[in-house]
This record gives sequence, structure tokens and C-alpha cells, in this order.
Amino acid sequence: MKRSVVLLSSLVLLAAAASPAAAAEKLRLGYLRSDLHHLAAWVGIEKGFFRDEGLEVEVAGIFNAGAEEMSAFASKGIDVGYLGMAPSVTGVANKAASVKAAALANAEGSAIVVRADSPLRQVKELAGKTVAIPGYASVQDFLLHRALEAAGLEAGAVKIIVVKPPEMITALESSQIDAFIAWEPHATKAVTKGVGRVLIPSSQIWQGHPCCVVAFEGSVAHDRPVVVQAFLRAHAKATAFILANTDEAVRTGVQYTGMDEKTVRMALGNITYRSELERAPVREYASYLARLGYIKETDPDAILRDYIDPAGLVKDARP
Amino acid sequence: MSGRRWHFLLQLGPLVAVALLWEALGAAGIVPENRLPPPTHVLGGLGELISRGLPPGSSLLGHCAASLRRVFGGVGAALAVAIPLGLLLGRSSRLRTLVHPFVELTRPIPPLAWVPLAILWFGIGDLSAVFIIFLGAFFPILLNTVTGVLSIDRGLIESAVILGASKRDLFLKVLAPGATPAIMTGVRIAVGVGWMTLVAAEFTGVKSGYGLGYMIMTARDIQRADQIVAGMLVIGLIGFGMDSLIRIGERRLLQWR
Repeated sequence: MKRSVVLLSSLVLLAAAASPAAAAEKLRLGYLRSDLHHLAAWVGIEKGFFRDEGLEVEVAGIFNAGAEEMSAFASKGIDVGYLGMAPSVTGVANKAASVKAAALANAEGSAIVVRADSPLRQVKELAGKTVAIPGYASVQDFLLHRALEAAGLEAGAVKIIVVKPPEMITALESSQIDAFIAWEPHATKAVTKGVGRVLIPSSQIWQGHPCCVVAFEGSVAHDRPVVVQAFLRAHAKATAFILANTDEAVRTGVQYTGMDEKTVRMALGNITYRSELERAPVREYASYLARLGYIKETDPDAILRDYIDPAGLVKDARP
Repeated sequence: MSGRRWHFLLQLGPLVAVALLWEALGAAGIVPENRLPPPTHVLGGLGELISRGLPPGSSLLGHCAASLRRVFGGVGAALAVAIPLGLLLGRSSRLRTLVHPFVELTRPIPPLAWVPLAILWFGIGDLSAVFIIFLGAFFPILLNTVTGVLSIDRGLIESAVILGASKRDLFLKVLAPGATPAIMTGVRIAVGVGWMTLVAAEFTGVKSGYGLGYMIMTARDIQRADQIVAGMLVIGLIGFGMDSLIRIGERRLLQWR
């Protein structure tokens, strides 16, 4: 009896000694369902990049839309999230939640898709057609407006409606919409399914446009700068890994989206993985939101001050 | 003070008190604005919904009209199918036995679980929403109609049959009027369920770009909690109004009792 007590207590001591000196810092992570733009988060988890930085990342929310993820930030249900620059800027400008963007998750990676047999060849031919966007004030909403403007069309010339991405391909196939704009892999999925054809990739609408960001809940960004830096290092490592190891990145993408390998591989080709966040495009986006009447705060510089974490992977605009 | 006015004040008083308390909690910073905007902000949001529309240019009236059309369509279709079927089922126990497994298998499936199928079958237009509302409204009306028929005094039915009432007369003059109180309860439940399912059905997207659920989803997209709550308030008011109308109709219909 006595011996077993001694044995047990020494085991407990051993176990305590074996765990690292500093307990891992816990971070609750959110990202969007089946959004390949967030591949760095999945790679970071799968390859242990977060763990290597002493972080214990727990997936606390998988969302259908950036606005939902912003609600999770507002209720402090997540500490860090991958989400569109658009919904996060909108939320900060409308004071729906306090978040700080600290890095880019990806650039480009969306496309306007029409039916495979559609006679439409140019953006300006969308006049009078119905085009679906995944949400108002989304990156895609902005890209569509920008494409229409560049083609010399007024926003009112096209009927814009919201359809959630999983329903977009069905809606396109049954001719209820004439086109949609969505993030990858939904755009490529329409192509590999034989339903759609890319009218224009977003890289041709706005070259190198920022898309998704890594954002921290306001108090996390303020109170835990060391943890934030550790997360950003892991994120940069995951981003570099995707660029250097396409095959493994594709496998992780397949695992997390449930889509076939061909679709994921093709979709990856349309996404630019980059981790540095630039100020100028964020400012441009804020001005656009104000112009469309989506946000209450209309001074883009005030929004930038609230939105960007200066200690993040932030790069100032090139002259 | 007349009884009716007193009744009205008695209902209004607590509403005003709750609104004042809610405003005070907001002003004191106990309830943060981004969690629940105070009533004054909600009214401001409502004002914007009326003056500018959401998305800007899509009027509040247009949203209300589209949603009402879908609710009437779905509940109307449910009435047209569920009442005759309910009367038949109430009359025949053999038929009840035959239909029972179908009803009990389908009834527990939440109407929203049908959304993906509805979109496959009917697209993202009005028909999809009408179908979903129909599913939600159908069972309360059906089951209440059956219960209503079963609650009619057997003696009454027997005497009608003995006195030579035709099948048609039996249904229209004995069963239907006898079951009306229960049917009306079913209708009131059905309209409530109809609104519940409508808003969620419209969340998936609607072709016309109009509907109160669609409007609330838009307010969420642009993260305006004041306009989300304002949209909820509009639905509450319309639902309240419709229920009052049904109750007035019920009183008229049952005057013979």
C-alpha cells in the first residue's frame, strides 16, 4: 500500500517535470467553412507550426460568412480568425466588434463565373443579367462593383442578389442566375463540375487585391502581443510552406474542404498566398464601403487606425 | 375610463416600462451597444430602413410585401390541403391508421431541413419559400382538424347520418363547423410557424432580392445590429397584427355557438 502511494506520487512528479516549463498559450481560432483562402490556418494546424511556437490552437468556430465570424469576435468567442478583409473592415467601421488585422491570409482568389454554355464573353455583357454575390459588403461585392465600373456599367445595370456559396452552383445550373462571383474553391468547383466557365478571375479585376486577413480580437491584440507575434510567425511559416509544397498543401485543402483533388489543385492556382498586409488597399476598400452607404464611420483614415495592428506583418504602400 | 381603453393601457404600460429599462441599461453601459442596441438606436435603424431601404434602394414595404405573399401562399396551400384531409381522417379510423406512419415520419423533420431540397426542386424563387412554409404550416392545421372532428359529439354525427344527411352535407354542415374552433387554433399556430420558417428560408437567398428575412440577413452582412433588431420588430408587429385579425375572424365565424 505504502509502496504504491510512493510509486504513484513519483509518477505524478515525473509527469509534471515532463511538461514544458511554460504552459502552452491557448488561442481559440475561427475560419470559414471550405474557404481555401484559409489554407494557412489548416496547414499550420496539420504541420504543427502553431504548436512549435508554443501555442495551443483550438478551432472554436467554423463559419459560413465573415459577418458571423465577426459576431463571434464581438462575443469574445474566438481570439483569432481568418476572414475576409471586407467583413472585418465593415464590422470595425460599424463598431460591431473590435478586431485588429495583423497579416494577410491571401490575395486574389475569386472569380466571376457564368454558365459553361453561356454566350457571355465580357463583363459589359452582364448588363440586365442577375449576378449572385455571397454577401453585401463582401470582398466579392466590391470586386463585382469594380469590374462593372471598369466595363463602363452602372451598378444598377445588373441585378445583384445574395446567394450563399453552397447554393450558387445549383442556382447557376438551373438558370436562376446568369453569373456569380465567389471565393475559391466554389468558382473552380463550378468549372470542374462542367456547370460554369470563368468569365474573369479577380486578379484581372484588381491585380494583387488583398482578400482574407488574420485578425485578432481587440483585447487579445492589446494584452497578449507576444502570443500575437508567435501566431504571426507560425502563419508566415505556413504561408511559405504552401508556396514550397504544393502537393501537401493540396492534400490539406482536400481534407478540410471535402472537395476533389482536381478542383483544389486548380483553385490553388488562382489564389496568391502572401502574408504582408498593405494599408493602401484597405483604405480603398473603406472608402468604397462608405460610398455604398454600408458603414456609419466614413473617414477611411479613422477606420485604418482602428483596424490595423501596427505591430503586425504590415507593409506601407509602395510609393 | 372605458374597459377597452383600460385594457389597452394595461398592455401598453409594461411594454413602455421594458423599453425604458432597456434604454437605461444601454445608456449606463451595462448592455454594450454592439450586443444589443438600445431602443432609440433601433428606431433610428428603422427610420433608415424606411427612408433608404436595405440594401440601399430596396424599400421596407417591398420586403414586407414579398414576405407576406410567401406566408399567405404557404399557409393558404396548407389550409387547402390540410383541412379536407383532416376532415376525412377524423371521420375514418381506417384511413387514420393508413396515413399515421407517413404523418409521424414527416412531422418531426424541421421544415428548414428541406431547404437544400426545396432549392433543388423549386430554385431560389418564391416557390421554394412557399413550399417550406407549407411544410411548417401543414401539420398543425391537419392535426388540429383531426382533433376537432374527433371532439364532435358522436351522437350528433350519428343523428345526422340517420336523418339522411348526404356525405357532402355531413362534411360541410356537421364536421367542418364542429371542428372550426380547433381548426382556428391550428391556423394561428400555422401562421406563427410560417413566419418562423419564412425568415430562415429567406436567409439562403431569394431571387427577387426582397423579403424580411433577406433584409435581416443583409443587415447582418453589413453588421448593423440596430437594423437587425428593427427588422425583427417589423416581423413581430406584422405577426401580432395577423394574429389579431385571425382572432377577430374566429369570433365572427363562431358567433353561432
